Amino acid sequence: MAQFGELTLGGISVGMIYAAIALSLVLIWRATRILNYAQGGMAMFTTYVALLVINHTGSYWAGFAVALAAGLLLGGVIERLVIRPAESKPPLNAIIITIGLLVFLEGLAGIIYGGQFRSFPAAFSINGLHIGSAALGISANDVFVAVAVLAAALLLGAGFRYTSAGLQLRAAAFSPPVARLLGVRVGRMLTLGWALAGLIGALAGVLVSPSTFLYPNSMDSIFVLGFTAAVIGGLDSPAGAVAGGLILGVALSYVGGYLGSDLVPLFGLAALAVVLMVRPSGLFSPAATRQV
Amino acid sequence: MSEPAALAVEEVMAGYGGVLALQSVSVTARPATITAVLGANGAGKTTLLRTISGVVRPRRGRVLVGGQDVTGRSAEDMARTGVAHVPEGQGVIAELTVQENLRLGAIWRRGRGTRASALAEAYQRFPILAGARNRAAGTLSGGERQMLVIARALMARPRVLLLDEPSLGLAPKIVSQVMELTAGLRETGLTVLLVEQNARSALSIADQGIVLNLGQVVAAADAAALASDVGLRKHYLGF
Repeated sequence: MAQFGELTLGGISVGMIYAAIALSLVLIWRATRILNYAQGGMAMFTTYVALLVINHTGSYWAGFAVALAAGLLLGGVIERLVIRPAESKPPLNAIIITIGLLVFLEGLAGIIYGGQFRSFPAAFSINGLHIGSAALGISANDVFVAVAVLAAALLLGAGFRYTSAGLQLRAAAFSPPVARLLGVRVGRMLTLGWALAGLIGALAGVLVSPSTFLYPNSMDSIFVLGFTAAVIGGLDSPAGAVAGGLILGVALSYVGGYLGSDLVPLFGLAALAVVLMVRPSGLFSPAATRQV
Repeated sequence: MSEPAALAVEEVMAGYGGVLALQSVSVTARPATITAVLGANGAGKTTLLRTISGVVRPRRGRVLVGGQDVTGRSAEDMARTGVAHVPEGQGVIAELTVQENLRLGAIWRRGRGTRASALAEAYQRFPILAGARNRAAGTLSGGERQMLVIARALMARPRVLLLDEPSLGLAPKIVSQVMELTAGLRETGLTVLLVEQNARSALSIADQGIVLNLGQVVAAADAAALASDVGLRKHYLGF
């Protein structure tokens, strides 16, 4: 029973990272109907920037803040420079561009920072928390990870719902021609959507790297699991992305704990295949497709 | 000429790719009037509205609003210039609530108070929308959707309103409500360009009309004169 509790809490903490990646994918999918395969690469790159700042200034939080800002900037710049020209073309063009971008970012990181594994500091202690003498199976840093992602998701949700920019973002995503006729600067909204996705991806990168080390491909497997979480939740649903991340994190934690950690990647991919076969629109988005 | 026309389209040529949808079209509308734009499918009516609202860029000719040359402005800028375009098929954003749709209509206007009073005014004029403000716009009936898109267009307090087939797919009773509403807009000083398949009901509320055929104006006159021209009615208007 103690093991069950430990595995659940650990799964929630890891699941929040998948949720963050899923959330960034959902943001871009909603804004531009593009699956951004470079999302992991972007997160890897901004995490290197964070490491640089942390080593320079000695302050974890300076690196954390710079990573988020860099993610925001990188997302916006990428949309403007390389995605915008493909926007009026078939969707496959943009998808291939994002794959190219991933290769480019990983290559560039290798050239600048080298291919060796670097350790990345955690914000808080990674020693397990205890209640009395009972181990909880999670650390203070795990709690921080969960709280940070949850806070980001709630802020985004509230921003989408209650602010003018959020309303314009949604209008631009749902119906660009109508939004344009109403005076919404649709192009700017797409840039903003990518920028926000870059920010959330950067958050995921900084949060996951203490447990994975940092190297040019370090985000690849996290990206696949984040993508799986987004598919579980439905690519159109930010709340679904968070739920999908949690479900996947907890499920994989049980698989690792009870069946053996070797099986975790296998089950992750199996989950992706099963969801795509059974319910490709995701568990949380309305089953009907949008009618225009 | 004392005051400039609210809207003037001068010898506009426009199209899509190799297809020329408008050859050389001119229309002038005085302030606070309704101009019916009539003609068969494919005559260029919708393209005319799209050219005025900046969705389609004219290849030749000029568009003037209140005497000011606004040719070639983007749709986003035309909304700010005071041209509201209600596209065919209504264009509610189904996933957003009624209130969110309405708020979008005034999204670029400055001042929280301005936007709030525009919203209050819309609910006063369309009580049926006030009762449905938190419902998804996709759940409204056809007639309610038409009310919503007109109310949303008015949120911007436009000078020129472009209405594309507002009666499309509506029950006859609702059609006459929409026509009555459109006729009432003239009293608020609005200049309306009304594209309609239903020529008879459009001419019944319009001050003047133009008839398009294959991208050219084949007739332009007072609404009463158009409605009584038997040959024109038979050839182009179908009533």
